[in-house]
Amino acid sequence: MSHGLNIDGLTVVASEKKILQGVSLHVAPGECLAVVGPNGAGKSTLLRAALGLSRGCTGTVTWNDEAVRSLDGRKRAEALAWLPQRTSIREILPVLDFVKAARFRFAESRVAATNAALSALAVVHAEALSERILTTLSGGEFQRVMMATLIAQDAQIFLLDEPANHLDPARQVEFYRMISEQWQSGRSVVCVTHDINLLSQLAPSGDANKVRVLGLREGSPAFEMRLDDARLREALEAVFSMHLEVAEVAGRSYFLPSSRPL
Amino acid sequence: MQAKVLLVSSACLLVVAASPFIGASLDGTESRFILTQLRVPRSLLGAIVGGSLGLCGAAYQALFDNPLATPSTVGTTAGAALGALAVLVLLPGGQMGLPAVAIAAFIGALAVTFAIAAIAASGRASMNDVLLAGIAITLATGAITTGLQFQADMASTFEAVRWSLGHLSQVGYRGVLMISPIALICGAILLSQVRALESMLGGEDRAHAQGVDIRRTRTICLASGAVGVGACVAWCGPIAFVGLIVPHMVRLSLGASRRILLPMSALVGAAFLVACDSLARVALPGQDLPVGVVTATIGAPLLVFLVTRRRTH
Repeated sequence: MSHGLNIDGLTVVASEKKILQGVSLHVAPGECLAVVGPNGAGKSTLLRAALGLSRGCTGTVTWNDEAVRSLDGRKRAEALAWLPQRTSIREILPVLDFVKAARFRFAESRVAATNAALSALAVVHAEALSERILTTLSGGEFQRVMMATLIAQDAQIFLLDEPANHLDPARQVEFYRMISEQWQSGRSVVCVTHDINLLSQLAPSGDANKVRVLGLREGSPAFEMRLDDARLREALEAVFSMHLEVAEVAGRSYFLPSSRPL
Repeated sequence: MQAKVLLVSSACLLVVAASPFIGASLDGTESRFILTQLRVPRSLLGAIVGGSLGLCGAAYQALFDNPLATPSTVGTTAGAALGALAVLVLLPGGQMGLPAVAIAAFIGALAVTFAIAAIAASGRASMNDVLLAGIAITLATGAITTGLQFQADMASTFEAVRWSLGHLSQVGYRGVLMISPIALICGAILLSQVRALESMLGGEDRAHAQGVDIRRTRTICLASGAVGVGACVAWCGPIAFVGLIVPHMVRLSLGASRRILLPMSALVGAAFLVACDSLARVALPGQDLPVGVVTATIGAPLLVFLVTRRRTH
């Protein structure tokens, strides 16, 4: 019996190219896992495969020992919620309706869905946006609304794909704090990113030893260690093929490109 | 927004209710017959057909996430035309009568659309590929239909042209009674998919992650759309533009939330077709224009206007 999300020997092949090769990981309830690696390492594919969205998969993906692929849609949505790297909406749609749509898995009245959507928006401090049209939002506002849809779906694991990619520095930090809050409130989080300096924002001071980091390189797992592990710099250097310097600022470690030759 | 929805709904109902009284004045000995046996059934049929076409168009546009998708673009109309033509041309002399044409059109519509639905339900093709397949099958079916017409004599060709322009005129309630149960059931099924379609606004993959069974939703929507539109087209002929333009009118005035778009497209579709049909009745004195001519003449410029207006936003 293994509670939570369990991925074992996952290999994904697309157009005869192995995008993922033999990836195994386990996310127990309440855990936080950061998946890092350069572009094309297979990070997004890993999340898609976990959701049962990838074709050409071998290996097993289970949730509480049940294969995710054979789960009923609503049960799967109770387990896993997903923040894709890109979401394009062209329609004229109020924010509130978009967030309400994420309540699909619940059999509930329209009023109940509205209330749940409003409180999800409140969690990300976006109540004021509820009447706005999605296409008029700024990048930061849109990403907060996306987070609200995950909270409205109320799944046990949040799968986040480069959640702060297009945000300015202040919004990036704010967004990672929001993720951290969700984790602190008991959810599991899998956060895929190449932005290694945002990882420290996941953990409030003193909790860095609770965040695990999985490094992916060319589709294969390269390392797995705690965020406060002293060997993390070396491991990241290998995964990103570059030298890094570590700077300690206010108790957090930041990785900077080094001028040392490779 | 609620007030706006209420306003548009009442305007639609008013149009449908007023439509039997549009046209030559109703005094004289036959006025009762004209009203109850000609105009009221015609308005009712127009409302049912227009409502179905509007609702199915909205559902298809939502499902395909493409503003060009309608039951005509995935071959429903082309299949119906082929079926109807086959009966009109291969069994000439009218000994088979209207029900045979309608049944053949219905079968043609279903055969083509279910072929498309099977591609969509396999889950392997993206909805854009499904739409492309639909357009390809529409063109192929159209070519066969033209070939059939080329072989036919003048009389059946004329019948075929008349059929292909769409018509709502009839005597009595036979059409209403035949189509309304099918249209109502299909409409109810489509409306039951509103939450799934709402979730698909963020893309099919995201809807999957939110718990929607994509293949099931695709199959249900395509199949019930095909049956509903197939029944309408079989009886009335292909009526152009309603399924394409009505959802756009609703979307641009009331927003794209599926829970508003679908039911309101049914209401606006009903009012739009009934209004066009009333116009067809009075446009040329003493003549009954095919309603398809009116919907296309009004629909095409209206659509262009709406779309270009949106661009400038």
